Amino acid sequence: MIAPTSPNRLHAFGALVLAAGAAFGQQDSMTSPPRQSVLKSQAVEYLYPEQVSVPSGKATLVTLHFRIQQNLHINSHTPRAEYLIPTVFSIPDTSGVKLANATYPAGSDFALPSDPDQKLSVYTGDFTIQAKLVSTPGNHLVEAKLRYQACDQTQCLPPKTITVPIDVIGK
Amino acid sequence: MKRNTIVIGITLLILAGFGWAGWANWMYRKQAAEHALASASHAELIPAAPGDVPEGGASLTGKPVPNFTLEDLSGNKVSLASYKGKPLLINFWATWCGPCKIETPWLVDLQNEYGSKGLQIIGISTEGDDLKPEDKDGWAHDKAAIAKFVKEEHMQYPVLINGDSLATEYGGLDAMPTSVYVDKDGKVVAMQLGISSKDDMEAHIRKAMGEGQ
Repeated sequence: MIAPTSPNRLHAFGALVLAAGAAFGQQDSMTSPPRQSVLKSQAVEYLYPEQVSVPSGKATLVTLHFRIQQNLHINSHTPRAEYLIPTVFSIPDTSGVKLANATYPAGSDFALPSDPDQKLSVYTGDFTIQAKLVSTPGNHLVEAKLRYQACDQTQCLPPKTITVPIDVIGK
Repeated sequence: MKRNTIVIGITLLILAGFGWAGWANWMYRKQAAEHALASASHAELIPAAPGDVPEGGASLTGKPVPNFTLEDLSGNKVSLASYKGKPLLINFWATWCGPCKIETPWLVDLQNEYGSKGLQIIGISTEGDDLKPEDKDGWAHDKAAIAKFVKEEHMQYPVLINGDSLATEYGGLDAMPTSVYVDKDGKVVAMQLGISSKDDMEAHIRKAMGEGQ
């Protein structure tokens, strides 16, 4: 015959059961995919750099990195049809930093399944823009802009302009 | 002593069991979380099946079509109510939309084919720029682009502007094209988000006309 288990042992066993239960109980909250509205989410994200130091008064090349959501594409800077909206990077005149020049990557060929003969010029995945910046001396919190228009294989989102925040330090 | 040994043994076994379960659960959750993250970053504008709920809005299928009054390119006010009793295809489109450019010739053909049987296609330009009424330059720019598109595509059916103002009533209109098929009683019989095929459009039209049911 086994003697009754002491209260301390019962407490320890109970704690173990509770701990295990808690571990199992976390499963749902961890595995449920985050609910998001794709149509409302941003198609293009600015990655980096957040801050650049440039010699003041001298045009300096800065490489800006962007990411397009998977399965979406945006028109390149030089789309093949006039009606398509090109991707354009700009800097407001009042920011203390001027955009002397922007060099865009060449677009990739892409065809919609419903019209395989017509090749579009698009960006997908990660892409960079080479921006030549001319800064006045000082620290400038530049709110540059990227305008683009995104689609997937069957439909298109309205054109959008996102802010590209860059801390430009002119030395 | 023997009893203590048994109790300790059982406790160790239970501990080992929980330890294993915890490890297995952690691994499972780790993999599932990675999978969920991957899914979350995988964006696709999935076209709605007919009658599906468009993103950001309620499905209109089975409901009375929301009425509206919009202007055409000449500034004339056109009310949906003026088409009462006709099967309709209301096609929301935009000048910058590649799939819209592809399906517009289909719409022209379908209007030619089914117009004599009563079908009326109505195109509504939805540029997504939410222009304010006082933005004359913006409207002038939009109208010029719309007129160019209409001319190039030989759109013989009515084209109205400012579809953006109907977003709430028409399920959000978050992406173009969006097509709403309405029967002669004014009930929405299908709603299609994104381009599908001319055959699909024709099937929806026939449904709106009360054929092939």
